[in-house]
Amino acid sequence: MAAAIALTQDPPISISTKFLRLLPGIALLFAIGFAGKLLEKNINAYAKGHHWAFPNIEYVLWAILIGLVISNVFGLAEIFKPGVATYEFWLKAGIVLLGSRFLLGDVWKLGGVSLLLVVIEITGSLAFMTFLGRAFGLRPKLTTLLAVGSAVCGVSAIIATKGAIDADEEDSSFAIAAILALGAIALFTFPLIGHALHLSDHAYGIWSGLAVDNTAEAAAAGALYSDAAAKLAILTKTTRNALIGFVVLGYAIHWARKGQAHAVGNKATFLWQKFPKFVLGFLLISLLATVGFFTKDQNTALANLSRWAFLLTFAGVGLRTNVREMRKQGLRPFVVGFIGEIAIALFTLVLVIVTGHFYGF
Amino acid sequence: MSERPQAEAKPDPRLSLDTWAVLVALFATALIRLGIISRVPW
Repeated sequence: MAAAIALTQDPPISISTKFLRLLPGIALLFAIGFAGKLLEKNINAYAKGHHWAFPNIEYVLWAILIGLVISNVFGLAEIFKPGVATYEFWLKAGIVLLGSRFLLGDVWKLGGVSLLLVVIEITGSLAFMTFLGRAFGLRPKLTTLLAVGSAVCGVSAIIATKGAIDADEEDSSFAIAAILALGAIALFTFPLIGHALHLSDHAYGIWSGLAVDNTAEAAAAGALYSDAAAKLAILTKTTRNALIGFVVLGYAIHWARKGQAHAVGNKATFLWQKFPKFVLGFLLISLLATVGFFTKDQNTALANLSRWAFLLTFAGVGLRTNVREMRKQGLRPFVVGFIGEIAIALFTLVLVIVTGHFYGF
Repeated sequence: MSERPQAEAKPDPRLSLDTWAVLVALFATALIRLGIISRVPW
């Protein structure tokens, strides 16, 4: 029997083969991102040269749109899939490098305000999504996954919670599809709403970081508004990510008490396992920048490297958004997510505007 | 429903994506700090 199982298993793959398999997809991410940059530069120059009133479309939007077209019109060939899946790696590396653009004092000051807003957002979102899930008769664990996905940090939170509460594959697929679809919608609607309400870069950045679920989409929604908004969106979203362990731990204990998940052993180990390590990397680089460890040119080089990492991320956001795959997952989780997300977006918008009056942003 | 056994999953000895991202970013930072990469165009 063991021999039969061994025969059906795939042979082990060497590290070099795994690395080589990533290259086509990474090259595609780079090509799309670079094409986005070229389109922004050339179309703007052409429009200016011909005195056209053409809106300035940033490379972020071009990269996402090209990715969306490839994924949804042509389909993504198998050879590219492993490399495209690295977009989250580039996002996290980009956030670490972005630390060079924040002095620790700013992180402390902005992070303190963000932390307060994040705690209010997470509490309100978890309560409202749980209520909605019950009202629509969703399965309890699917409701938990949707609540965590929309309150904390999208897909990563859903995956972390799935393992902790022993949710099944179907529930997590439903929740991930709903959160991804809603993230794609937020990406295009948030900048429009921000401009319509004349939100400052600061207020818009915090709002995006609070209300957009996935870190990649939050960064992209911020970058579509302005560079300053992107910085604030990423800082706020990173604060949200840092709290993932506490929320997942709470749900793990809740489901274990009901006897429907394995019990949690050492809580400190659990929290460390779930804690996003890139937050520590971000703080370390920020600390080094604060104590003057880098020259001005080195700071610029680090900031540019961070931009390149985000460029690959934005290309990946478009490529992994497949409308047909999302439609297969059914309507009800999407409707619950949609209503919840609108409520969270409105709630956090009011929260940011009110806080902005007190803090002057 | 009966209480499930306390079967904490064994931690994966491989480095997580997060940790790899931090290590690669720190390596790139070191290259820039040491002057091996002097300029990153944008």
